[in-house]
Amino acid sequence: MKTWFADIEINEDGSVAECSPCTQDVQQLAKRLLVFQADPKQIPLASFDPVKKAIECGFVSGKTEYYSLLQQTCIAATRLKIKNSYSPDLRIIHAVEALDDIDEAANLLAERLGIWYGEHFPEAGMLTENLAKFVAENGLRQDLPQDSQFRETALSSVGMEMDAEDGAIIKAFAADLSSLYERRHVIESYIRKNMEQLAPNLEKVAGANLGARLISMAGGLQSLSRMPSSTIQVMGANQALFKHLRGKATSPKHGIIFNHPLIKNSHPKIRGKMARALASSLSIASRVDAFSGRLNPVIKEKLDRKVLSIKEGDK
Amino acid sequence: MKVKIFHENIFTLQQGKKRFLATRNLTPGLEVYGERLVQVDEAEYRIWEPKRSKLAAMLLKKLPSPFTTTSKVLYLGSATGTTVSHVSDIVQQGVVYAVEFSPRTMRDMLPVCEERANIIPLLADASKPQSYANVVEPVDVIFQDVAQPNQASIALSNVQHFLKPGGYLLMSIKARSVDSTAKPDTVFKQQLKTLLEQDNSKLELVKKQKLAPFHIDHLGVVVKKTE
Ligand SMILES: C[S@@+](CC[C@H](N)C(=O)[O-])C[C@H]1O[C@@H](n2cnc3c(N)ncnc32)[C@H](O)[C@@H]1O
Repeated sequence: MKTWFADIEINEDGSVAECSPCTQDVQQLAKRLLVFQADPKQIPLASFDPVKKAIECGFVSGKTEYYSLLQQTCIAATRLKIKNSYSPDLRIIHAVEALDDIDEAANLLAERLGIWYGEHFPEAGMLTENLAKFVAENGLRQDLPQDSQFRETALSSVGMEMDAEDGAIIKAFAADLSSLYERRHVIESYIRKNMEQLAPNLEKVAGANLGARLISMAGGLQSLSRMPSSTIQVMGANQALFKHLRGKATSPKHGIIFNHPLIKNSHPKIRGKMARALASSLSIASRVDAFSGRLNPVIKEKLDRKVLSIKEGDK
Repeated sequence: MKVKIFHENIFTLQQGKKRFLATRNLTPGLEVYGERLVQVDEAEYRIWEPKRSKLAAMLLKKLPSPFTTTSKVLYLGSATGTTVSHVSDIVQQGVVYAVEFSPRTMRDMLPVCEERANIIPLLADASKPQSYANVVEPVDVIFQDVAQPNQASIALSNVQHFLKPGGYLLMSIKARSVDSTAKPDTVFKQQLKTLLEQDNSKLELVKKQKLAPFHIDHLGVVVKKTE
């Protein structure tokens, strides 16, 4: 039988027939432990007492030494196993969550900039990213370049006067916001690249962003692939779903997948059907991705045919 | 505060009308998860909140403690080590084999193991006891808090492999993890049946007790393996 410290042959009467203990190298022992754990073979009997046998075999001289080595070995094995447990989709999950954080922060800052700069130049009529870029590049009304299309409007603005010091502050604030938007684009293309590699089928059916979001909400590609398509269909519709479970509403037809153009751009009458078709296709895509990770164009083609037939049926 | 012995190595501290469950700190000066440390005379105690630990709730709800200073314990579902650390206090000269299958959770428990010589971490699935059978020795107590649909059968397979005759299984059954729609009492009955009505499982019920108000819809169970 195999123990963590030796392979042991036991006689019928329970005494040790043969035992060649491993050396007391913690890293080696830890690796041995993990090999056994992944594929347990020659399992010790239920009544087997490893502590006694380890001393009998001469692996250790006493109990204290035994437990100290065992603890070191198990800690080392646990560390190794933790280190190897991170799945590559974690990077997608963190990136998607970072996007959400950026959106939240950017919305808040953009609103502030809109109000602040609007006080000075209400006629500029820009919002969010455009406004941030504009202010970061130009600063105040009086600093606009000669050829700026806003020059005329700026001259006749009813906005509050601001001086160079005000301008420096607001310009820097806008620059920060603008770089936040830039960061968002960079992360988005990072997600796209990673999705193409890790979940090409999901990427194809859902699009990179929605696909990544589904992975993130499910807690990983593996768990997404184990979800029934009916769950994928309502994922993110938590409030509506709980209402339904409490018996206070009809079952929700779409959660986060509502953001998919197939559903968003469909007539409300056929959205339910579309959501079901899309969810089923997403479910298949995630399974193929979790299993093989190779693109199979048939999945998307099938969905396209189904979509056509839903639209036909609606006519 | 006034210290009273509650069970072997388990104490209550009385402060006015308030009474706290506590264990004596094996690593004085160090707290594990933000629990309160209290110095009384020469000893330092760690306050053990029943709301944060199913085992503490079980003890306060008068389920018997099978732990002694030298107990060997197999702990299934150790999470980040909150309760494990108190068990480690109790079985000062014993061992706790702490099984947890979530790497992320185990990552937070490792520092606790590094501070306490009697905790052996096992990042493994408690429903596959074979996978750690090359490490774990026969034990006096199995404690289980895994919150899984098949918790009774997980307990059973570990009992069969690791529990000494005369040893005890303590488990917390969470009704909603087994079946979120069934009535808790129905779930408890069915889980106890799985546990006790096996051929030659040699298990007999010592006591069961609901863990409310500390934990809603949880049943604490103490079972003994006959000789
Ligand atoms: C309710 S928590 C335990 C809390 C802990 N006993 C305490 O009081 O500090 C349940 C834990 O069991 C773990 N778990 C669930 N199923 C498991 C299994 N089959 N094997 C090992 N651990 C499991 C979960 O990851 C989770 O950390």
